[in-house]
Amino acid sequence: MATELTTPLNERERAALAKVGYADEAGRAGTCVITDHAVRHISVNDDRVEILPIADALARYDWVQDLFFGQIREDENDEVRAIALSPEPPVGHFIRVRADAKLDTPIQVFCLLETPQARQVLHNLTIVEEGAEASIISGSAVAENVHTGQHICLCETYLREGAVCHSLSIEQWAESVDVTCYDRSDIAKDAHVEAKAVKITPVRNHRSLTHISVGENGTANDQTVVFAPEGATRVMDSEYRLEGKGARSENLTRMVAGGGKIDNRAMIVGEGDDCYGFLGCDGLKLSRAGEIQSVPALKAISEKAQLSHEASIGMISEEKLAYLESSGMDEEQASQLIVQGFLELKEQEMPEQVRETMIDMIAAARSGSM
Amino acid sequence: MTNEILTLKGVSVTAGGQQVLRDIDLTIREGELHVLLGPNGSGKSSLLGAIMGLPAYTVTAGEIRFGGTRIDGLSPDKRAALGLGMAFQRPPSLNGVTLRAFSDALRANGTFAREAAALDLSGFGEREINVGFSGGEIKRWEILKLFLQDARFMMFDEPESGVDLEHISAVGGAIGRLVTTTDDDDTPRSGLVITHTGFILDHIHADRAHMMIGGRIVHSGEALPLFSHIKQSGYTVPAG
Repeated sequence: MATELTTPLNERERAALAKVGYADEAGRAGTCVITDHAVRHISVNDDRVEILPIADALARYDWVQDLFFGQIREDENDEVRAIALSPEPPVGHFIRVRADAKLDTPIQVFCLLETPQARQVLHNLTIVEEGAEASIISGSAVAENVHTGQHICLCETYLREGAVCHSLSIEQWAESVDVTCYDRSDIAKDAHVEAKAVKITPVRNHRSLTHISVGENGTANDQTVVFAPEGATRVMDSEYRLEGKGARSENLTRMVAGGGKIDNRAMIVGEGDDCYGFLGCDGLKLSRAGEIQSVPALKAISEKAQLSHEASIGMISEEKLAYLESSGMDEEQASQLIVQGFLELKEQEMPEQVRETMIDMIAAARSGSM
Repeated sequence: MTNEILTLKGVSVTAGGQQVLRDIDLTIREGELHVLLGPNGSGKSSLLGAIMGLPAYTVTAGEIRFGGTRIDGLSPDKRAALGLGMAFQRPPSLNGVTLRAFSDALRANGTFAREAAALDLSGFGEREINVGFSGGEIKRWEILKLFLQDARFMMFDEPESGVDLEHISAVGGAIGRLVTTTDDDDTPRSGLVITHTGFILDHIHADRAHMMIGGRIVHSGEALPLFSHIKQSGYTVPAG
């Protein structure tokens, strides 16, 4: 088993994953790749990082079973219940960053749908131990020839006291792929997470169900950019529970509908005294087709909670287009610049291929609206 | 005699259903710089917007020609492609669009590096356009934008307003350099400037000034004498 997991990725696999952030493993603290129904490859360059298939971790460490389904209820819904009751060993990664490790290079983790019509069911566990600092790049992709399939992922993340984690997640699905993600994070006292997620390529149905709990003086900030081209339905349901005194979260979502549908529901629950939470939800519609629904919600339990939200949805402003056009850009070029700016897709954070895909989709959506 | 670069004949314009300009005649030749003077609400910015083709303005009568080509039916990008450029008085903020991305889109990185320094905007490459800019920074960026565009005919809408004393000569100097150099095709540049304070006249030679009242050009003449008259007598038509 161990020798199989160290078999290097082939050219085709590397090419598929490069679209979602894969980089030379020598420059990464660790790498894990899951293909279809199995952990395909693991490499670790930093002995403060441990990466195992989740089934191996459950067998090796007693305490892992307490974290597995520690945040996701096994009876959450029929889909989760069926996964929990499956007699098959679970497939997924176990990542552990040891206490007080300050990693110099990021960890990268990927899942790849390589077989058409494959149904990929993953259960991942990530633990950043007390005082550790890590950066994690995660990517999800389909192989070049694949445009159908199903991906269900249960992700449970634990940031222990004083831990810091920066994460970047990039998805590249295809037009007939259905995706459901159950993301749960437990941010302990004084722990901080800064997460960015890019969900801009075609997909058929994408549901993400996120639940983050933040402890005393902990921080959970995230920025998500979402694009729904024609044929895509994206549903995002998020809850941020600010449980500890002084817990903070700032959650920014930017949504662009290019003919598809986006339904974004986000709630902050202020439980701890002096907690602070902000939700920012901005939507941009590129054409008449499709829709955006954005429902930010605030719930204060502590009387000392400070919670706020801002939400907007609009078309590309004619004034901004005219401003750029008066400098010589044509309408397509100007609208691309505005949409890219709206999504804040900075080059250093975005693999070139993902940028190009998105630019093509924006152009297609805009031309459809003319 | 040099060629006419911009010609307006009998131009009337509406904005939001209201008539804002009436029967405007204006001719500017290659290499000339004209100044537009007038009280607030007299239609000066509307004239610049109509020449640029901004969607808020509709030409209801007359014609606008640029370098002999009729442009009043063209979109702003087509007019810009012919060589028109405009420094806006109140430009929109473009969240997420950096000066660098703008410069990349116009393939003008070399110009950006050189001219940003001259306008004290060297560190602004990763700033978002007009987001959190002070009044003076907006003006300086608008002028830098015209350098990036390499426009042949430039319109400045109150370039001095909101600029602090420290930068006022840099702005004036930059406008002076812009209008006294030739473009990439070696054609002398021309321009039309709206000014309230007249500071720009310390940095450029204005060939002609026009006074605008109530949407009409009511008087045209030499710039400095007309400006002196306004300082003394307000926006009244000089005798003779």
